Amino acid sequence: MIELPVLDDSPEQGEHPRNRFWRSISHLEGSQEFSEMNAGEFLPGASNGPATEGNGGATRRQFIQLMGASMAMAGLTACRKPIETIVPYVRQPEDRVEGVPVQYATSMPFRGTLRPLLVESFDGRPTKVEGNSDHPDSSGATHLFEQASILSLYDPDRLGTVRHDGAVSDWNAFRAAVSELPTSSRVVVIAEPTSSMTMAVVRRQMEQRFASVRWVDYHGAVGNSAAQGIRAAFGRSARVNHDLGAARVIVSLDADLFASTGPDPVAASAGFSAGRDPESMHGMNRLYVVESGYSITGGMADHRQRMKSSEIASFAAALASELGVWDGNAGVHGSHAWISEVAADLRNAGSSALVVAGDNQPAGVHALVAAINDRLGAVGTTVTYLDNNESAADASAELEAAIADMAAGNVDVVLTLNSNPVYEIPGFGDAFAKVEHRVHLGMYLDETATKATWVVPQTHYLEAWGDGTSRSGVPGVVQPLIAPLYADAHSEIEMVGLFATGTDMPGYEMVRATWRAQLGNSFETAWQKVVHDGFAEGSGFGSARMSLSTSGVRSAMEGIDLAGADGVEVVISADQKVYDGRFANNAWLQELPDPTTKVVWDNVAQMNPATAEKLGVGAKLDAGNYFADVVSLEVSGNSVSLPVWIQPGMADDSVHVTLGYGRNIVSEREERSTNFFDLDDYTDVYGKGAISGGVGVNVAPLTTSGRIAPVSVSKVDEGYLVASTQDHGAIDALHVGEEVKSRGLFRTATIEEYRANPDFVKGGEPAPLKEDWEDYPPLWEANHPKNSEEMVSSNYHDNQWGMVIDLNTCTGCNACVVACQAENNIQVVGKEEVSRGREMHWLRLDRYFVSGDGASYEDPQMVIQPMPCQHCENAPCEQVCPVAATVHSPDGTNQMIYNRCIGTRYCANNCPFKVRRFNFFNWTKTLPESLHMASNPNVTVRSRGVMEKCSFCIQRIRGANKVANVENRALEDGEVVTACQQVCPANAITFGDLSNPDSAVSRRRESDRRYELLAELNVKPRVSYLGRVRNPNPNLA
Amino acid sequence: MSTASTDKNLAHLADFHDEVPLVKGNLKFHDITEIVSSHTEKKTPFAWYGAFSLALAGLMLLLGMIAYLFWNGTGVWGLNNPVGWGYAIVNFVFWVGIGHAGTLISAILFLFRQQWRTAINRSAEAMTIFAVICALVFPTIHVGRVWAIYWTLPLPNQMGMWPQFKSPLLWDVFAVSTYFTVSLVFWYIGLVPDLATMRDRAKGKIRRLVLGVASMGWTGANRHWRNYEKAYLLLAALATPLVLSVHSVVSFDFAVSIVPGWHTTIFPPYFVAGAIFSGFAMVVTLLVIARKIYGIENIITVEHLEKMNIIILLTGTMVGFAYITEFFIAWYSGVQYEQYAFVNRMFGPYAWAYWTMMSCNLFFPQFFWFKKLRRNVTFMFIISIFVNIGMWFERFVITVTSLHRDYLPSSWDYYTPTAVDALTFVGTFGLFFTLFLLFLRFMPMVAIAEVKGVMPEADPHFYDHEGDGHHAEHAVEPSTQQ
Repeated sequence: MIELPVLDDSPEQGEHPRNRFWRSISHLEGSQEFSEMNAGEFLPGASNGPATEGNGGATRRQFIQLMGASMAMAGLTACRKPIETIVPYVRQPEDRVEGVPVQYATSMPFRGTLRPLLVESFDGRPTKVEGNSDHPDSSGATHLFEQASILSLYDPDRLGTVRHDGAVSDWNAFRAAVSELPTSSRVVVIAEPTSSMTMAVVRRQMEQRFASVRWVDYHGAVGNSAAQGIRAAFGRSARVNHDLGAARVIVSLDADLFASTGPDPVAASAGFSAGRDPESMHGMNRLYVVESGYSITGGMADHRQRMKSSEIASFAAALASELGVWDGNAGVHGSHAWISEVAADLRNAGSSALVVAGDNQPAGVHALVAAINDRLGAVGTTVTYLDNNESAADASAELEAAIADMAAGNVDVVLTLNSNPVYEIPGFGDAFAKVEHRVHLGMYLDETATKATWVVPQTHYLEAWGDGTSRSGVPGVVQPLIAPLYADAHSEIEMVGLFATGTDMPGYEMVRATWRAQLGNSFETAWQKVVHDGFAEGSGFGSARMSLSTSGVRSAMEGIDLAGADGVEVVISADQKVYDGRFANNAWLQELPDPTTKVVWDNVAQMNPATAEKLGVGAKLDAGNYFADVVSLEVSGNSVSLPVWIQPGMADDSVHVTLGYGRNIVSEREERSTNFFDLDDYTDVYGKGAISGGVGVNVAPLTTSGRIAPVSVSKVDEGYLVASTQDHGAIDALHVGEEVKSRGLFRTATIEEYRANPDFVKGGEPAPLKEDWEDYPPLWEANHPKNSEEMVSSNYHDNQWGMVIDLNTCTGCNACVVACQAENNIQVVGKEEVSRGREMHWLRLDRYFVSGDGASYEDPQMVIQPMPCQHCENAPCEQVCPVAATVHSPDGTNQMIYNRCIGTRYCANNCPFKVRRFNFFNWTKTLPESLHMASNPNVTVRSRGVMEKCSFCIQRIRGANKVANVENRALEDGEVVTACQQVCPANAITFGDLSNPDSAVSRRRESDRRYELLAELNVKPRVSYLGRVRNPNPNLA
Repeated sequence: MSTASTDKNLAHLADFHDEVPLVKGNLKFHDITEIVSSHTEKKTPFAWYGAFSLALAGLMLLLGMIAYLFWNGTGVWGLNNPVGWGYAIVNFVFWVGIGHAGTLISAILFLFRQQWRTAINRSAEAMTIFAVICALVFPTIHVGRVWAIYWTLPLPNQMGMWPQFKSPLLWDVFAVSTYFTVSLVFWYIGLVPDLATMRDRAKGKIRRLVLGVASMGWTGANRHWRNYEKAYLLLAALATPLVLSVHSVVSFDFAVSIVPGWHTTIFPPYFVAGAIFSGFAMVVTLLVIARKIYGIENIITVEHLEKMNIIILLTGTMVGFAYITEFFIAWYSGVQYEQYAFVNRMFGPYAWAYWTMMSCNLFFPQFFWFKKLRRNVTFMFIISIFVNIGMWFERFVITVTSLHRDYLPSSWDYYTPTAVDALTFVGTFGLFFTLFLLFLRFMPMVAIAEVKGVMPEADPHFYDHEGDGHHAEHAVEPSTQQ
């Protein structure tokens, strides 16, 4: 190399040399760094050799470790992508296309089992939950809690930091505190039952570390009388699964089989609906329901008997006695008119019979029911007992003992996991306060958290690793889709791991360790498959060997009063929307109309009109809203005050209340307050603290004497506004029912009538439809856009979308409503706006009571009708819009062009189905930032002043169109699935291409039960309904 | 010249024109000019300021309510899901209806040679224009995104996006704007000779200049009169179908829809009759006050008012007949939705509104069968207020009761207006009276030239035996000469 001395930069002598050229001030000053930097040809480090052990680099071993770790981390593609990335990929990873969602398998732990899921993730952000249809226990459908759980992930009121004695602390401090706990500590753990295998491992480790660990499986929402009943009847515990699909005759004793609160409502609905096809050669199954409230299961019943919950034991005893498994006195319903017929029906069905008792019923009834099923031979077909290695300990007794210990000061540490005992257990708070170290792991700063010394934020199930078993015992993993939104948040197993070891135990490592033991050789391959699939194939619980103990049943029945008491009873159950209160801060669920009362943002004391009259209470309908009397319910000295709701069809003298309301969650967000001219504070549903704040009343104080208790009711106040999405429920139910019938909205027949006259739905047509539609061409028929050149030549024109809703299987469970909300970014408007009739749900479930045809006003039938946009071919909305903001697509859907809409609301007025929803305010302006992450990026978030409505999930249609177009093929049937269809546990919704005669929807439209609503208006809806057929027992008039 | 021969002449002329003279108090041409012009020339009375500040306060209230609405959104009103149209549309139809009398009086009665119209047509036309302005406020502000309202106009744009011409709302845009334009031009043409009269009397320089420009060089020349009469006749012929079309088109907003209670073929004639009914009631309300305060009882006489009351009686009965026909058709059609909608109107949650409408519109005007009552100024004022209320309720009943319970009982709800709804409506009265008071203050409230045309002196032979009419004794001392 030739050095060219062009510029001499050697230091010159003298202070101000002439002709001095310099590159920087440090050069001029001749600083040390500059000379060092200038000494070499290349910049420092650039010419050094690779770092080796010798010169301070990583050792070979470290290198291998690091590379191994990065390989492992690369496997965690589900985790949030690194936030440091500010430039687009130079080389895009092969499996990632920006903006195209990816689905990951995971599971949601709920009610002690895992519910297998596929979760959609947009660029690392989970937005939508679906069922994992590959899983043996999943049909691909889900229920409303799974759907709504996405919103809980982004809940702005989630606890973000560790708290110590009310002050903000951090995880390190907490870890130090736990590791310093003496091993002589006496520990009580109150945890929701979990199926996690990893939890079982760390729990054993924890039990070894401390002197005494009392572990209480506590599940406040459902109680444990069912488990007690099984133990009493068989002397051992087992997991009970019901297969409604195999059942021909089903008797529900106060069991709400299809409600979200059930153990597996998805399977129950799917199984039940499979047996409800009136065209099937096997005939339909038959459902008898004996219940005190009016549940959606009661709405599906072929025969429904309203009866006080406290008297159902007597009914069960009478049935058992008729079937020969009970020799005692059956009590008040011993000679009930139904007994012989129901028993005969059950006996005929034999192994295809099924009797189910509700969670609220005492252990004795569950034991009796187990005995009946055993006698009928149902075990192994409709009832299966699985060996889940559950401890035989009675959780209630354990809990009582633990509370006694705590109160006596014999406990040093209490750890509450995924439970909220201060809120749920009356009197727990006092015992809790006597413990020195009170540690709570939870998602909110709630009732228990504010009383605890240490509060650790809990991860959402989509944020942390976990595992467990599904309903039938198939082991699966809970895979996180996003790194915890709050760095301090930890999962249950991590928490117990810390207690077990005193050091940080990463959940991922713990779960892998558990599975390593299980999967054995070639672990990595097997593990990858398990994570990918969400479950381990080909495994599950074995069936448990159960032998009935008659004496056990008898002893369980002891103490149950079969005589039937006069006076009013209160029945306390988990809420179908907020469960035990864990979903109380979920705005989607708070605004979800209760499936039967249609009440939102409140819990109410439901009673039938006769009971209300007897008690001298009621609800006044004024200007479209119910202003209810407030009653005080008193059970053994504890009382709560609730507004009254009049629900027809309930048992006399029975008052129903639900748990989970009246939560007290501390929100750290500032309350919004705006100037008088600005209504942002009014429209901000999230602006008044936590969502759950001020909503309803906690009825847990009434549970001291069990879930069914005699109650004294007195009126304490009146004029309480109860918001309901359906205006006329109780007060003129009869009148509305007649209108529904004469307008042919909901058409029903019995199976005999159907067989005699398969076209019964045609008889339901309202009077004017004497001629065919074709005789009355619409005004614009000649130039209807559907025939225009642009339409016909469009590629989309090949598919003509339509939907069929089977009213025979729809239970009205509400899952579709939440799924629609999650998929389509539907906003929540709050109680007051709902009471003003401004709820935004695109899909609503219309509930009607029907009397007549053997049903009296006191004991009406209940029917549910899902009501999405009907996508009329001759849409009245399109013809009146002055700016063409709602138009027809070439594929036959009615589309809403949000950015063209000026908001005249004429379309909504002219919609005979009233499915259009108007944005009266800007609902997204005030939305907390974290909730924006829950939005589906494929669906426009609507602004103020525009109309919106069901789009048939047009984003999904176009997504499928895109794929088919790239692959240069036609769309296949079943490729497009709407959100409501996908979630429906009962398979009541079929969607597809009407122009394809072989598509499922085309075939279903050929059913003779098919009809369109308001057909006589000639609007030609693309949504058809299939009339309901009931299967009553001919011997039971 | 004997008085006997004058009397004879007058009696002859009275026979020729009408049984009762249209102008009373033995007024001469100049008296008319004096009486009408003086109110625009004299010092503003204190009472006017009082009334004007009240009206202005109402206008400010309207602007405040609109600002509140625009800031927050349509949710400040009481609308809900089944009831997408409430006060705004009710008020729109109400004001458009009121805006019917003016053009009817000036155009249709002109074509029918009803000379009594001359005394009232100017103020009735002013009322029309102001009422239509009030009406136009509502369709503009009732949309959810007011900043995009211009999309309803057929403006060429780069998207090639036109309004949807099948929508009755779009027809409304054209119908009401055409009606407004024609009414304004018609009113202005009629004003020209009177503005010239005022110009000739004007004292101040500015006043002279303004009136000079506004009267467009009118000199009263024969050629001017010929052109004027021709233009006026043509405009009257043009305005006449508009009177019928505008409210027919407004009624299409309802009739073209499929909402039970709206979808009714009787709507166009029934709405037009209703509009004339309410318009005349409003004219009576306003003129009963104005003629008293401004001392023009000899020009707008009880005979004028009586004739209007007869029209109120006629149109009110027509409207009542339409109500009953609707019921009959609902029953006769056998359409149960229609039947339910009408039974629900009578006995449903809004029965109070229905019976208010029925009593105000059908029952109360029947008092006008009695001559004594229809000539009693106080009584007719009360009835006219009732009719105004009744006609507002008619639109309320049609709009709200039909929407709140339509096809699917699950979506039934109740509409309750908010304070903003009510105050916005009150505010439009502020707008209306602000404009009307300005009109009374600065414009000739009676068509001077036209009234003169129907006076006996207008007969070409009136002065055959007398002077030139300017030197006869005046019944009223000219105020400007004081």
